[in-house]
Amino acid sequence: MKKYIIFILIAILGWTLAQTFKAIPFGADRRGDLSNPNKVAAYYLRQSPETLQTANSITAIVVNFRGFDTLGEVTVLFLAATGLASILYRKEEEDKTEVERVSLPSSSLVRTGAKILFPLILLLGIYVFVHGHLTPGGGFQGGAIIATGFLLMLITYKHFETNHNVMVWLESLAGLAFVLVGLYGLFMYGSFLQNTKSVGTLNDLISGGLIPLIYIFIGIKVGTELTNILDILLKIKPGREQ
Amino acid sequence: MVISPVHYIVAPLLAAFAIPLLTKIYKDAARLVPGIVLLYNVIISFVLMHYISQNGMISEVIAGWKAPWGINLVLTPFTGFLATMVSVLGFIIWLYGFRFKRTLKGGVVKYYEILQMMMVAGSIGVIITGDLFNMFVFIEIVGITAYSLTAFYRERNGAEAGFKYLLIGSLASTFLLLAILIIYTQTGTLNMAQIAERMSFVPQSMKITALIFFLIALGIEAEMFPLNTWAPDAYEQAPSPTSATFAAVVSIAGIYALVRVLFTLFDVSGVHNYLIVMGFVTMLIAEIAAISQKNLKRMLAYSSIGQVGLVLIAFGIGSKLAVLGAIFLMLNHAVIKALLFMTGSYFIYNSDDKRLIGLNGMHKQLPYVSALFSLAAFAIIGFPPFSGFWSKFYILISASDQKMLYLIIGILLITIIELVYYLRAVGRIYFAKEEMKAVAHKPSSNALLAMSLLALFIIVIGIYPDIITGYLNDAAGALLDKAHYIQQILGSK
Repeated sequence: MKKYIIFILIAILGWTLAQTFKAIPFGADRRGDLSNPNKVAAYYLRQSPETLQTANSITAIVVNFRGFDTLGEVTVLFLAATGLASILYRKEEEDKTEVERVSLPSSSLVRTGAKILFPLILLLGIYVFVHGHLTPGGGFQGGAIIATGFLLMLITYKHFETNHNVMVWLESLAGLAFVLVGLYGLFMYGSFLQNTKSVGTLNDLISGGLIPLIYIFIGIKVGTELTNILDILLKIKPGREQ
Repeated sequence: MVISPVHYIVAPLLAAFAIPLLTKIYKDAARLVPGIVLLYNVIISFVLMHYISQNGMISEVIAGWKAPWGINLVLTPFTGFLATMVSVLGFIIWLYGFRFKRTLKGGVVKYYEILQMMMVAGSIGVIITGDLFNMFVFIEIVGITAYSLTAFYRERNGAEAGFKYLLIGSLASTFLLLAILIIYTQTGTLNMAQIAERMSFVPQSMKITALIFFLIALGIEAEMFPLNTWAPDAYEQAPSPTSATFAAVVSIAGIYALVRVLFTLFDVSGVHNYLIVMGFVTMLIAEIAAISQKNLKRMLAYSSIGQVGLVLIAFGIGSKLAVLGAIFLMLNHAVIKALLFMTGSYFIYNSDDKRLIGLNGMHKQLPYVSALFSLAAFAIIGFPPFSGFWSKFYILISASDQKMLYLIIGILLITIIELVYYLRAVGRIYFAKEEMKAVAHKPSSNALLAMSLLALFIIVIGIYPDIITGYLNDAAGALLDKAHYIQQILGSK
């Protein structure tokens, strides 16, 4: 009985939602006038090539117009990693007993392949976040690609270890650098995260002022953080008591 | 101006990213740095409050894009007051928990301190932001930290409570995002002042759907009935400083978000009555549940939900005096409930029984803590001359101004329930027959200082409420004057 009531309730909820979203035309042009913007979307599309000299307007929105949100999202990821570490923290005495990763022995084909692919994946990740202001993609995507590279190594080689110290330093310094770039805007131009006045020319690798710099920091931070999360999760033994 | 509202967020963020490095150099940095940062937030709160009282509200622009285009932080007398309150309580709770887990070596303390600090910083962010999506991001920050801290003690049932909280919190985030999506497609902006301005052009059906999603999502955050089932478990299982933070900081941010959306964004009639009804039901059910609790922290958690219900009732009445009473009650709830959790956790710590029976005869071992607990219990029921009296007094007067006789009777009857279970706890401490107890863990000096500061506040405000009513009056005015809010933010184009 209870099951049916829940089902009916969900159906009503879904129907109401569908009705509401049906009224919002899909794919319609809602930007309005670009030359005299009245909605934020039109304003962003106009300002990112003009003022910021950034070819990828999504990057301009993510890093500059709504850079504060992005700082918040980077923090959410950081806190998720911290929270995970605090929950899965192993006590000192437990630490001494060798905790091995959960992974099955892999064939030499996989091992050789992983070795060849690993640097290429890292390179692709770095490429994606360095060119975040020119081509689709950016810090989060690049960071995620780097983490997949590490994941490949972690599951292929049982004794592959990320250098924990280097990871902590990279992660912290990237986060600090993001905030410090923001503070640079605050002290130089009076507004947190404000871009520099010299933004370069559109479509150059060095353009968009501080935008590519911030995206590189985000890329490093996201990459190291996701790698840390994967490392922590892979070290949980199946069925380990608490 | 040298100090700007953005420091509220930047300082904790810098500290959070730096703590993993600093602990490599100096081991106790993880404990000290959050305290320094939270103290800094307290100082800038007072500087900014002074500035607002002289020059009117601040609208701080981020990344150099003016109000409707970029993200802005808004410090009105209302948000400034709440931000100050949250900063001060965040610092006092840090002081209380300074020696928390001192016996544990290395890593885990670092994580705990970062999460605890960011929970306070995220709550301040929710309060001071003027952008709807930015508010969502800060609610996420508070949520993530809160889930992790709830599950901090895996050995107890923390993991289960944390998981429950995580599920319902994710539901809240999803619904909040859907509501923001609907609002964005209709108004083409995320700035709250501009949304408020354009709300009258939004079709009624969209408005209602968005409102329902907001009510569900923020109702979960604000612990409104029937969306608060996560709260008692989370309060009970979290470490004690975290429980105090849930009551004093996180619930305040949740109520703020709900009130900001309902008062500033929407102009739908009937919302006020809805708040009164839901507030009353929340209060009634929570207090009835509290009276049947066997566990002290769980009882306090239900009492917290009850207080939130009363705050919602007061906001629902909607007159200036009622809103003043509501903000006063938020302040009192934060201070008194923090003190109750702080003192209560010493009782739990000192008895092998987590249940209320463990309180029996506690006053012999912990005389000072017992006195503070009783003081807080009397204050939250609303006995004069404690601060809790005045907030309830204002709310009842405003209800009588609006001729809401049944509401007054209802609130007073529920107060009797409150009286019963708090006096029962106090009675156990002082008059119950003492059982055999182990050696008492005396409270550390920093915890004593933190608790005494809160108790001092309760007594001083109780005797001289005039110190604070001026600020409360400005705060209530700032919340209700929507036109001024819109004009101040968008006018500076």
